[in-house]
Amino acid sequence: MKFPYLKEAIKSAFKKPSTEPYPKVNKEAPEGYRGKIKYYPEKCVNCGLCIRVCAPGCITRTIEKVEEGDKVTFTFYQGQCTFCSLCADFCPRGAIELTKDYHLAVTDPKDLIVSGTFIKKAPPKPPVQPQNQPAAKNQESNA
Amino acid sequence: MLKELIAKSFEKSPWLFHLNTGSCNGCDIEIVSVITPRYDAERMGFKLTGTPRHADIVLVTGPITSQSKDRLIRTLAQVPDPKVVVAIGSCPRSTNVFNGSYSVEGPLDKYVPIDVSVAGCPPKPEAIIDGLAKAIEILKEKRRAMK
Repeated sequence: MKFPYLKEAIKSAFKKPSTEPYPKVNKEAPEGYRGKIKYYPEKCVNCGLCIRVCAPGCITRTIEKVEEGDKVTFTFYQGQCTFCSLCADFCPRGAIELTKDYHLAVTDPKDLIVSGTFIKKAPPKPPVQPQNQPAAKNQESNA
Repeated sequence: MLKELIAKSFEKSPWLFHLNTGSCNGCDIEIVSVITPRYDAERMGFKLTGTPRHADIVLVTGPITSQSKDRLIRTLAQVPDPKVVVAIGSCPRSTNVFNGSYSVEGPLDKYVPIDVSVAGCPPKPEAIIDGLAKAIEILKEKRRAMK
């Protein structure tokens, strides 16, 4: 009498189960996985390149005028994100990063929003040059 | 006593119905992989059904296209209460890259309130398991509220 798979059966009986014990043991995403967005507002220069390259249009920017300059707020809505990482690739300052965190199951859609605010200072006003005034006067006299 | 037993076992084996409303198949493959032996959601009691009439949790994938809109409404009407609607991926939440297309009539919360949304394009199977765990909690609450 033959048992064709007996060897395999005995081998597998002492193996670990191939099922991943996920909820008990947390599993880390592989290197280079594009997960939850992280935004560093202190690095951002408000060039708006990320908004131009974002295909689904999940990035919105609001600019408010305050005394020191412009108060810029970037909002990333991950419910609309494709996680293509184009925004992070195109950012000249590396202000956007796609982390390996993939725990994005939420009951409230507001938890999917990542936002950051920074104040972009207006450039200092150039001092009024006294040379311009006589030049203007000359022009007037010429006319 | 039998009713208590039914209530207890109900929470431990919610049945899933997978509804594709014009998805690109990325999220569908991830849902199927959740059921396979590698991730094995069946050890937590989840089971895919073929009919919406047996389902407790509805997994919706895809932006709602004009072709699938009527079928979505008809299918969701057939699911008995209490039901939990889980949006898998970014598409049902916000129609994703298809936003503004002439043939897309999403997002899903126009038609039915979304209970759990799993973001990702597509989400990892682990994230879907997370979402299903949250869906069970909501299902328990809904069932208690119905009594």
